Amino acid sequence: MQDEIRQSELISLLGAVAQQDRQAFHRLYQQVAGRMFGLCRKLTGQQELAEEALQDAFIRIWHHAGEYHSERGAPLSWMMTIARNRTLDLMRSRKVHQGASNEVIDIMEDERAGPLDATLHQDGSAALAMCLDELSQNQRDSVLLSYYRGFTHEELAEFLGTPIGTIKSWIRRGLIAVRRCLER
Amino acid sequence: MKITQERIESLAPEYVLGTLQGHARRRFQQWMMDSAEVRREVWFWEEKLSQLALVIPAEQPPASVWEAIETRLWPSRATAPVKARPKAGFSWLLPGWSLMATAAALVLAVLLMQQPAPEPEAPWSALTGAIVQADVDQPLWLVSEDSRSQFLHLRPVAAAQPEADKDYELWVVPEDDAAPISLGVIPVSRDRYQITLTPEVREALERSRTLAISLEPQGGSPSGAPTGPILHVTTLYEL
Repeated sequence: MQDEIRQSELISLLGAVAQQDRQAFHRLYQQVAGRMFGLCRKLTGQQELAEEALQDAFIRIWHHAGEYHSERGAPLSWMMTIARNRTLDLMRSRKVHQGASNEVIDIMEDERAGPLDATLHQDGSAALAMCLDELSQNQRDSVLLSYYRGFTHEELAEFLGTPIGTIKSWIRRGLIAVRRCLER
Repeated sequence: MKITQERIESLAPEYVLGTLQGHARRRFQQWMMDSAEVRREVWFWEEKLSQLALVIPAEQPPASVWEAIETRLWPSRATAPVKARPKAGFSWLLPGWSLMATAAALVLAVLLMQQPAPEPEAPWSALTGAIVQADVDQPLWLVSEDSRSQFLHLRPVAAAQPEADKDYELWVVPEDDAAPISLGVIPVSRDRYQITLTPEVREALERSRTLAISLEPQGGSPSGAPTGPILHVTTLYEL
């Protein structure tokens, strides 16, 4: 119920932002900037780049709020996607890579023990968590490292010390399996 | 490559994840423009994968981020000092300028357009100009702004189609080294194009009188800041 109220509030704020309502834009920022910034920080591992990505994401939201509609999913998902995409663009244009090969185990442990197992099940995302759990460990690691760290195929191949063809196959098959699982 | 259900299902999640890159990514973006089915599959994955983000602990950004957003969107109103962005303000023009210097054929000039009859009862001003290129007889676009209306009018005259997968995007270049403000993607083939200016954007334009056109990915800059080469910069003149 809380979530429904929150969703409808975000939708109405986005509608007002589409009408150039600055106060609504500030309220929207107050509501979601923390979540978006947490994601930007996790992806980049850098304060400054994350701040820049967050700025860019909100500029985009201001200009494109009118393009949001319910088919695009929950409003927060739409905004988180914008934040993640902008962060990835900046990381890739500046050639920012997080971590080094000797950190990869820590990163994977972090993802495995991180939010997924503990929180995702409680957060209305149980289906996704369950479907990810069904993947092989390699498939799951590749997908999660890509999502949370923004790794490309090449970076994953380097970090995991695995041929790129294998990485591509893990990700492709992993995601197709998740799709099939979510349809069940 | 033909769009098939199988390809949509295997490429859409990789597009959303960000592992689909280069030519394959651009081709997929074209598919998205062509097919509602492709777009729906992308939205499905955006919704699903973003659930992974929702469990990351929120982290409050410093107040300077909001101040910087305000300054970028409404440069004339913001009062707080803003942390300099690497590509803020006129500094982002520099690569464009050097590009133009090497492309010697490109020359900027300004043409005055016909002046409309003034209305005596209300003081008003009009800015006008043209974006021209040396090897093209006619101006590429004519631009006019009238302080009595909220519109910037743009008339493509001899503008050529951008290369495939690209669009031209128009920007106000504010004074004071503030970041450029997007006026959106502009057409090359319509008779007349009207852009609604918010009071803040109009104020920024009236102060700086400077417009720029950059080459961006189809649909415009993904970031709200120019990402492609600056093709044209022009100063508008007051009538």
